[in-house]
Amino acid sequence: MSKEAPLSIAEREFILEALRQDSRLDGRTPDQFRPLKISFGDEYGHVNLELGNTSIIVRISAEVTKPRDERPFDGLFNINLELSAMGSPAWENGRPNDVESYVTHVLDSVIRHSNALDTESLCILKGVSCWSIRADVHVVAYDGNLTDAACIAVMTGLQHFRRPDAVVRDGQVVVYGVEERVPVALNITHKPLSVTFFAFNESKNIIVDATLKEEQASEGELVIGINNGGEMCFMNKFSGATINAREIVTRTSVALEKVKDLNAQIDRAMQADLALRAKRGMAEESRAENDR
Amino acid sequence: MSEEAKLSHTLVVSDLSAKQRMWGPRSTKNRESFFHDAAGPYASPSSLRTTSKTDTRSPSRQSNSGQRKPTTWLSFPLEFSFSTTMVGPTASLSNLSRADGSASFKCPTTGYKILGSVNAPVELPGRRDALKPEEATVEVFIKPGNTTAGVGERYAEGIIRTMLQKLILGRERGFPRRGVVITLAIVGGGAIARGDSYLTLLPSLLHTSLLALLSGAVPMSMTYSAALMAVSKSNVIVSNPTLVEAKAASSLHVLAFSSKGHLLLNESQGRFDFDTWKTVQQRAHALCRGVELPEVDGDIAMEAQGDSGTAEGFVRETVEDHLCRDYAWKINTE
Amino acid sequence: MATSAAAPASSSRPALSLPPSQFARLQPHAYLLAHLSPPSTNNQPSIRANGRAPTQFRVTSANAGSLTHTNGSAVVRIGDTAAVCGVRAELLHTEDIASWSVSQATSSNKSPRSADQTEELGEQDDNETIERERAHIEDLNLLVPNLSLSTGCAPGFIPGSAPSSLAQSLSHQILSLLHSTRLVRADDLRIWYQPPSMGPEELERHNDEEQMDVDTAQNDPVEESPREIKAFWVLYIDIMIISLAGNAFDAAWAAVLAALRDTKLPKAWWDVDNETVVCSDSISDARKLSLRGLPVASSFAVFEADAAAGWRAAVIPEAAEMKAQRLARKGGVSERWLLADPDGYEEGLTQERACVVVDKDTDGKVIILKMEKNGGWTIDTEDLQQLVDLSSQRWEEMKRILDEC
Repeated sequence: MSKEAPLSIAEREFILEALRQDSRLDGRTPDQFRPLKISFGDEYGHVNLELGNTSIIVRISAEVTKPRDERPFDGLFNINLELSAMGSPAWENGRPNDVESYVTHVLDSVIRHSNALDTESLCILKGVSCWSIRADVHVVAYDGNLTDAACIAVMTGLQHFRRPDAVVRDGQVVVYGVEERVPVALNITHKPLSVTFFAFNESKNIIVDATLKEEQASEGELVIGINNGGEMCFMNKFSGATINAREIVTRTSVALEKVKDLNAQIDRAMQADLALRAKRGMAEESRAENDR
Repeated sequence: MSEEAKLSHTLVVSDLSAKQRMWGPRSTKNRESFFHDAAGPYASPSSLRTTSKTDTRSPSRQSNSGQRKPTTWLSFPLEFSFSTTMVGPTASLSNLSRADGSASFKCPTTGYKILGSVNAPVELPGRRDALKPEEATVEVFIKPGNTTAGVGERYAEGIIRTMLQKLILGRERGFPRRGVVITLAIVGGGAIARGDSYLTLLPSLLHTSLLALLSGAVPMSMTYSAALMAVSKSNVIVSNPTLVEAKAASSLHVLAFSSKGHLLLNESQGRFDFDTWKTVQQRAHALCRGVELPEVDGDIAMEAQGDSGTAEGFVRETVEDHLCRDYAWKINTE
Repeated sequence: MATSAAAPASSSRPALSLPPSQFARLQPHAYLLAHLSPPSTNNQPSIRANGRAPTQFRVTSANAGSLTHTNGSAVVRIGDTAAVCGVRAELLHTEDIASWSVSQATSSNKSPRSADQTEELGEQDDNETIERERAHIEDLNLLVPNLSLSTGCAPGFIPGSAPSSLAQSLSHQILSLLHSTRLVRADDLRIWYQPPSMGPEELERHNDEEQMDVDTAQNDPVEESPREIKAFWVLYIDIMIISLAGNAFDAAWAAVLAALRDTKLPKAWWDVDNETVVCSDSISDARKLSLRGLPVASSFAVFEADAAAGWRAAVIPEAAEMKAQRLARKGGVSERWLLADPDGYEEGLTQERACVVVDKDTDGKVIILKMEKNGGWTIDTEDLQQLVDLSSQRWEEMKRILDEC
């Protein structure tokens, strides 16, 4: 299977008609996200995220490398997304598809290019060594709205991740294991997230967080990347039906509200996890990291 | 095996695992009563399924527990830290929504956690050249957790594919010309650097594939179980070595046995002689299947531990547990 | 290849109306089976379609030093499979290694640099040395094998395609075998610098380092001017299979081995004034690598009489049962054959494979360095024992061939 099974005409009609009457298949309001579940693995930066039936695992890792010649003060940060048959039978292993490049592009724009992670703080020794932070996104189950879910997962991972402490001594970089020094959190400058809107019925109905079925029935989409302060870092309306410009302005404020809410949820999950870790004690934490 | 013999065999198994439950922390309720207890829903949450498959049978394991990385938390009572270093693997089935079959598997000694999915039978339109008219094409894809895939992954994929190709009944109805796509994502544990041995990861990958195949109801001629063994520099055999032990070992072995006792897979590297390998093979066989142990002191005790402490027993229990949960509605109404 | 070998078999079987070559194509399994199990009436031994006895390897030849622009090269032919290997050495300055100036504070994981500080000249194979070897060769990736199955080496290989998974997994096997056998000594790849006498400034810096780096500095304080590694040789080992007729791994590994035995590294030293590594032009200064042992790979395939046994949903007998059956049949017709060094035709008909890499120490004791078996369930412990014995015979043969080349 190299394509998702298409919607039947009846299904499409049903979804559209329901939206005309302001209701969605799962009973949500147009501006409501599916329940978001965030949990963390043993390691720092390991996030399991579930947004409805869409499920994503993000792992953040750090290693010491040489910085780029043209940017000796900057560390490296990469987001890596590879879709596999695990997420959906429509995706073939080892063959990049359109969804993959699209989501990677949005993630790069919203998180990487908006400098959400301060890469200058990753520099250890000018031109000699720096941290390279790598975010690996594993899409484990796909049921719509991959971009927003991946954005939330990567941002959560970056906030949760702790890199080992490193010190420069006489040109020699000393990296301390987690059991010797408390690992350091990354320097996050702001917390942008993306909110994807889907338009139906000649853009009369616009909803957030579409499921796969809704995505298939949609006519156009609009992606807004925005942070808590209301600063836009990404906006995309590249295909599909036209959307009224005034509509976009109102959607931006909806997006802001959603991003604030999602960030609050991330914070709550983080606090809960940190409290749990503190309770389990330092020793337990170091045990989990030992195998690195 | 006659039908009667089979029946008695399964009876013995469930009886013994019930015995095991008495001293394992997994569930105080034994399986026998569970099946007939109408009032008792299956309440054990998956997080509690961390069975402590204490490997008491393997003498080398015990003698080597001293060599294990010392745990840094000395404030805990000794037996507590002891039981956590010996904790057995954990697994769960069918945890993904989009794949036909899926499983997750965590090996505590190496720290690897694998998530596996199976799509079968599935059309592979892009792979027309590889599709065979008579049987299914098995495809294995390994996705490392925090690096990009390299030659090592291709190699491990090859091993798993060759092994499964022979076990999966790819000529069953609906399978020829289609694919059995197995995707294994390493979601926990360290990365394997280029040129490093892939053997430490192989048993976890094999077990995950098997559980995912079972979860996806892919027909197979036999099941299997695998074990990682290391021979240290001082010629001591370490079963289920940690990564540190594996790195320091003079030879590493991965063996897989079918549920009928055949040696399905052997991957050995390092420096060793054939007699060492034979001992390793016997030890691994005992670890996987729990029979043929040289020192037998009382049959029943041996077997009781044998079935539940073995890799094969683990697979069986994981599947049984899953079935119990799936059929809870039926069991509870009876 | 099959045609000529089949001629004697077909002469004893006049009923065959098809020419043997067509029979071989139409019914490959039956064709090979007919060769391996001749009718008991004529006392012919079991023979493979290519004319070899089951445990016979193909004619092997090796030729070293055939490529001029490499540091070492070899061509190995095993029957119709031919592999060319070229070793190219390149310098890697330590200042270009990202992890060189990084040390882990934890004792278990030392930086590559700290490994050299305790370096002793004597080459003992104790654990410490092994660890240091590993730190350099494996962590710094000083050996880079790459195998390519060249266009047209076998009908399936078309130009312009990405490296096949077979090529990738062979590359990994070679790299992992290079690492696990520790064939190349790390000391051969190090380029040292011995400061003649330390300037006051430098000395101070060095002492500072020693005081600060409590964890890493283990060098003897009485040592006056410690040597330091300035660069490494990186060996790029490129293997090209120019003709693939089965058993690529044996040929590729033999080519790597022969090429490494042929490899000469020029004398290189650190030039303080220019701050660079300088190599000597003269051939007399170049030295050969001193390899550890001579690991020889032998591959085998298992041909099953009943090809359908694996896929029929029939109940597969227990391992013990199978063995009993086999013993009972002993002397009679066997149901499966171990074929040494399978060619392309045979590889297409077999699923179960085994590969054994052995070496012999000075006393002639066989050491197994790698043993693999996969793809089926008929090989058991006794068979593996037999394969190890065959491999050690093959070792003698390969040693002779490689010594002559």
